Amino acid sequence: MLEIKNLHAGVEGKAILKGVELTVKAGEVHAIMGPNGSGKSTLANVIAGRELYEVSEGSVTLDGADLLAMEPEERAHAGVFMAFQYPVEIPGVSSTYFLRAALNAVRKARGEEEIDAMAFLTHIKEKVKSLGLSPDMLSRSVNEGFSGGEKKRNEIFQMAVLEPRLCVLDETDSGLDIDALKTVADGVNALRSPERSFVVVTHYQRLLNYIVPDHVHIMMGGRLVKSGGKELAFELEEKGYGPLEEELAKA
Amino acid sequence: MATELMQRYDSELSSLLASAEAHSGDGPPWLQALRAKGLAVHREHGIPTPKNEEWKYTPLRPMANKPFAVAEPGPAVFGFELPWCCDGSRVVMVNGRVDRNQLVVPKVSGLTVKSLRDALTEDADLVQRHLGQVAKIEGHTFASLNTALFGDGLFIHLAAGVAVESPIEVVHVTSGDGSCVAPRVLIVADPGSSAKIVETYVTDGDGVNMVLPVTEVVAMDRSRIEHVRVQDESEATYSFALWAIRQESDSEYRSYSVSFGGAIARLDQEFWLGGRHIVTRLDGVVVAHGKQLLDNHTRLDHAMPDCNSFEVYKQIVDDEATVVFNGKIFVHQDAQKTDAVQNNAALLLSPRATIDSKPQLEIFADDVKCTHGATVGRLEDTPMFYLRSRGIPKSQAEGILVYAFAAEVLELISIEAVRDRLEARLFEKLGV
Repeated sequence: MLEIKNLHAGVEGKAILKGVELTVKAGEVHAIMGPNGSGKSTLANVIAGRELYEVSEGSVTLDGADLLAMEPEERAHAGVFMAFQYPVEIPGVSSTYFLRAALNAVRKARGEEEIDAMAFLTHIKEKVKSLGLSPDMLSRSVNEGFSGGEKKRNEIFQMAVLEPRLCVLDETDSGLDIDALKTVADGVNALRSPERSFVVVTHYQRLLNYIVPDHVHIMMGGRLVKSGGKELAFELEEKGYGPLEEELAKA
Repeated sequence: MATELMQRYDSELSSLLASAEAHSGDGPPWLQALRAKGLAVHREHGIPTPKNEEWKYTPLRPMANKPFAVAEPGPAVFGFELPWCCDGSRVVMVNGRVDRNQLVVPKVSGLTVKSLRDALTEDADLVQRHLGQVAKIEGHTFASLNTALFGDGLFIHLAAGVAVESPIEVVHVTSGDGSCVAPRVLIVADPGSSAKIVETYVTDGDGVNMVLPVTEVVAMDRSRIEHVRVQDESEATYSFALWAIRQESDSEYRSYSVSFGGAIARLDQEFWLGGRHIVTRLDGVVVAHGKQLLDNHTRLDHAMPDCNSFEVYKQIVDDEATVVFNGKIFVHQDAQKTDAVQNNAALLLSPRATIDSKPQLEIFADDVKCTHGATVGRLEDTPMFYLRSRGIPKSQAEGILVYAFAAEVLELISIEAVRDRLEARLFEKLGV
C-alpha cells in the first residue's frame, strides 16, 4: 500500500530525513519510534503533504500513485489521513460544518454523492459517542477550548468519519492520561481492517500496549535504523535508546 | 490638483447645487433653515481633497469626471430580487423615496413606519424635534448635501414600551446613471421600546451614481435597538454615508455594519452616549476586492459616566483594494467609569492590498478603562494545512478561514436569516 524509498527531506535547507525506506502492506500497523528530533514527525508530515518540508530525494507512493506530486487535499482524497500532534484550533468554524465539508470533499473525489446535513448528523452522532466525546462538541468551533485529550480524541473521531485507507498518527499519545489513551486506542482498533493500514509515530512504548503493531521501526538521525516485531518496542522501553545509539556509533 | 478638482466639481455639479437651492424653499421654515445650513456647509467644503486630514487616505479624484444630477424617481421593479429576510415591516426606498405601493407594515400598536414626507405633516412635532439634531453635519460635506437635497425619506417611530418582534427591513435602491441620491432615515425609539432594524443599500443597473445616505437614530432611556446596515451597492457606486446615533440612559444599541459594495464607499458612524449605564456595540465587517476603496470612520463620544462600548471592525482586503479605518473614542471629563474597547483587525489576501488603520483615543476623565488594538495579518499556514489535510480544497479552505475571521462580528447578529444571507454574500464576493 504505502511505499517509501530513499526519502530525503528537510526544512529551510536543513536535512532531517536522510534516506527513509518503509513498506506498509494493507491491513498492517507499523509503529515508528525514536528519540526527539530523530525525524518521526517530519516523516508523518511529509506523507500528509505539509508544505513546510521540502523533499529533496526519494519517493512516496500509495498503491503506486505518487503522493509527493499531490496537494494535501488530493492525498486526503487518495485515502491519507494524519492525526495531528497539535490539532489546530479554528475559532469561528463549527466542527459540524468543517467535518461535513471534509467528508463531502472526500466523497466527491471518490465519485460518491454528497451527504446532506440531516443524514450527516445521524452518521456522526454515534461515532461521537463511541469516542467518549460530548455531542455538544459538534456545535462548537473546531478544537476551540478543547482540552488536550479532547483534541486528540477529536482527531480519531475525524478519522472515523472520513474512513481513510492510510492513517498516520503523529504522537497521538502525547499528553494523554491512561483513560484517554485507552479511549483513543479503542477508537483506532475499531477502525482496523484488512484494507486499512496504520503508521503510528510515538516516543513511548505505552501506546503500543493498546494498539498492538505488526512491525516496529526505530528512527534515528533521519533513517529507520532497526526494524522488528512488537518485542522491539519492549526492548526499547527496558533499555532506552542509549545502547542502540552506541551500537550505531560503532558501526 | 485640488483646485482643479474643485473647479471641475463646481462646473459639472453646479446643477446639483442649483437643485439644492431650488429645493431650499420646501417644507416648514425650520426645515428650510436646516436645508440652507446644509447647502452652506456643502458650499464651503465642496469635495474634500487629500489635504483634508479626514480624507487623507480616500482620494476622490476618480469621481471628478462624472456629472451628477439629482435622481429622478426610480422604477418599481428591478432586475433582481429584493433581499428580504423576514416577515416584518418592509420598506423599499427608490432613489431616496419611499415606494408606498410596496410598503408593508404589520399592525403593531405604537409602531410607525412611513415616508418622511408624510411624517412632516402627520408627526410634525416629533420630526422637528429630532430631524437634523442627531447628525452633526458641520464637518460632513456629503451629509450636508443630503440635508440640502433630500426630497423624501423614512420615518420610524417606536412608542414608549413597544417591543417590535419581527425585524423592520429597509431596502434602499439606487437606479439610473449619474444620479445623486440622498436617502434620509430618522428612527426615534421612545423610552423602553425595542426593535431590530435592517437597512440594505443596493443598486439597480450598472450606472455610476453617487449615494449620500444619512440615518439618524435617537435611542431614548431603556430602549433596545439592534441595527444592521448592509452596504451592497454596485462597484461603480460612490457612496458617502453618515450614521448618527444619540443614546440616552440605560439604552442598549447594537450596530453591525457590513460593507461589500462601492467604487469608493465611506461610512461615518457617530455615536453620542448621552446618558448613564448605556451599552453600545459598534461592529463592522468590510470586504474589499478589485480596486475598491472602502473607508470606515467611527466616532464614539462617552459624555456621561458608567457606560460600556465595544467596537470590533474586521476588514478583508483582496486584490488591489484599499481599506481605511479611523476609530475615534472621546471620553469626556464627566464620563468616569467608562469601559471602552476598540479592536480593528485586517486580513490581507493579496500582496497589493492596502490597509490604513488609525485608532484615536482622547480621554479627559481619569477613572476609565479604554483599550484598543489594531492588527494586520494574512491567512495562516497551519490552519490552511489542517483543513486541506482533511480533503478540503485550497480555495474552499481559504473561504472557510476568511469567513471564520469575519464570524466574530457576523455571529453577533441575532437575526439568523440575515446572518445566512451575509455569509452567502461573503463567499460569493470572494469567489470561494
